[in-house]
Amino acid sequence: MNSEVDSARAQPAPMYASAEKIYPREIQGRYDSLRKLATVVLLGLFYGLPWLLWDGRQAILFDLPARKFYLLGLTLWPQDFPYLAMLLIIAAFSLFFFTALAGRLWCGFACPQTVWTEAFIWMEQVAEGTRSQRMKLDKAPWSFEKLRRKFLKQMLWITFAVWTGFTFVGYFTPVRELGVELVTFSAGGWATFWTLFYGFATYGNAGYMREQVCKYMCPYARFQSAMFDKDTLIISYDERRGEPRGSRKRSTDPKALGLGDCIDCTMCVQVCPTGIDIRDGLQYECIACAACIDACDAVMDKMNYPRGLVRYTTQHALDGYTTKLLRPRVFVYATLLLLLVAGLVTSMATRTPIILDVIRDRNSLYRELPNGMIENIYTIKLINQRNDARNFALSVAGVPGIVLDGVPEIIGVEGGGVLSLPFRARARRDDVHGIINIVFTVRDLGETDVLLHEDSRFLGPTPR
Amino acid sequence: MSNEEYRGRQQWSRNWQAVGTVVWISFLSAAIGTMVFFAMFDPVDLTSIFDDDLDIGRDAGYAAGFFFFWVLTLFCSALTAWLIRTAPNPDNKRRS
Repeated sequence: MNSEVDSARAQPAPMYASAEKIYPREIQGRYDSLRKLATVVLLGLFYGLPWLLWDGRQAILFDLPARKFYLLGLTLWPQDFPYLAMLLIIAAFSLFFFTALAGRLWCGFACPQTVWTEAFIWMEQVAEGTRSQRMKLDKAPWSFEKLRRKFLKQMLWITFAVWTGFTFVGYFTPVRELGVELVTFSAGGWATFWTLFYGFATYGNAGYMREQVCKYMCPYARFQSAMFDKDTLIISYDERRGEPRGSRKRSTDPKALGLGDCIDCTMCVQVCPTGIDIRDGLQYECIACAACIDACDAVMDKMNYPRGLVRYTTQHALDGYTTKLLRPRVFVYATLLLLLVAGLVTSMATRTPIILDVIRDRNSLYRELPNGMIENIYTIKLINQRNDARNFALSVAGVPGIVLDGVPEIIGVEGGGVLSLPFRARARRDDVHGIINIVFTVRDLGETDVLLHEDSRFLGPTPR
Repeated sequence: MSNEEYRGRQQWSRNWQAVGTVVWISFLSAAIGTMVFFAMFDPVDLTSIFDDDLDIGRDAGYAAGFFFFWVLTLFCSALTAWLIRTAPNPDNKRRS
């Protein structure tokens, strides 16, 4: 491995062999348009969503200071964390499913790394021009023009990065207030810190690290091959059609020269953002961005050859077999995905918006009152996850004649409120022997069918 | 190879690969840890365990928690990477 790299470095350096960075050539084509569309839609969603309002408050807000998540009309509490965990598992299985079907669709079109790199490369082009202009500029000595172009690029990048950091923090703190605070330098220290932190990460990742992140830092890039089989959609060079490669005049018949369809123009290599040669076969560096397809199709059009020398295909199709879309792997991923989604939907639909907790005071066993009663102390915790105020009534069963003290007949809990109330339960001494299981019941006075039960224990003197 | 001149030849050095991977993976792990941890514990409740007068607020509590996790995962990740990379290679051991 190391020696390969070393020998590659030791080769006599042709024109740009020692270039410090990859200068992907700009292209146009079907897949490039598709990726631009994906970039615009995804970035639009990211930058736009925090500004969306729902019932007069921010529609999507992970309000960490208040420990509540607002998702459109839904309010989630820390207790709802399993939903989030399940959502993440669903996301993972969707990734497996789509990878098995369509390869690294995620990498080429939806990964934040790709999307932001796309945006940063666009800004680079605005400031520094096309691929060859950029290469020339970097080799040129410093001049006013170079300074101007580099300065413009940095300004664009930094502005965009800070805006990105601001938007990110805007998902966790109300974005409108945050905006005003940041502009007037009155934002809290942590909000400012995270804005700059995330902005800097964006700047570094999309501006400088780019495909190195995919090559060296991304775990998905390494294990995605586990989801691949010979029916998975990949981007591949049709070796049987293309080889032997070689340049030729447009007018000549390649068959007469004994050549394949590849004219060895290296356009597919020049456009590659990770700097690989797709003609060497499937490589883990390939993020399936399909830039090489666009490039090659344009060349094939010019040569009047059929398109698709580099194309989306499968290993089976390349080998002359038919591609099977429905196969066990796909069924397994799809079934698991469906089960998970069904589970999430059901559990969210049946979620009770009230949480009841009754805790027995651990510091005392029981107390004997002078009038022959036994007293236990409890604390009731009621969480009203709804947005409106509710009234509740608490009752208890399990010991004959047990009464509650310190609990109002109507317990009001405001919308989104948490009530914590200590109270006492008393029963006659003759009715209590040792440990008795009791049940507390809370009834929502607005809706008679909403009942919540909580098991607890009532302690009394042990019978001799 | 005929098209060598068109390729960017940038490779991160092995050290930079290790630094990048360690920083990024420990960051991810710390983020997950922070999420799970603070879904269960409220930083305000936690600070009262240590000192009743300690009042640092949730923002700072989350940040402190995150950096605590990050330092921990960074340490673990870096040490693992370092041990693997500096392990004696049996292929090179030909001393007799």
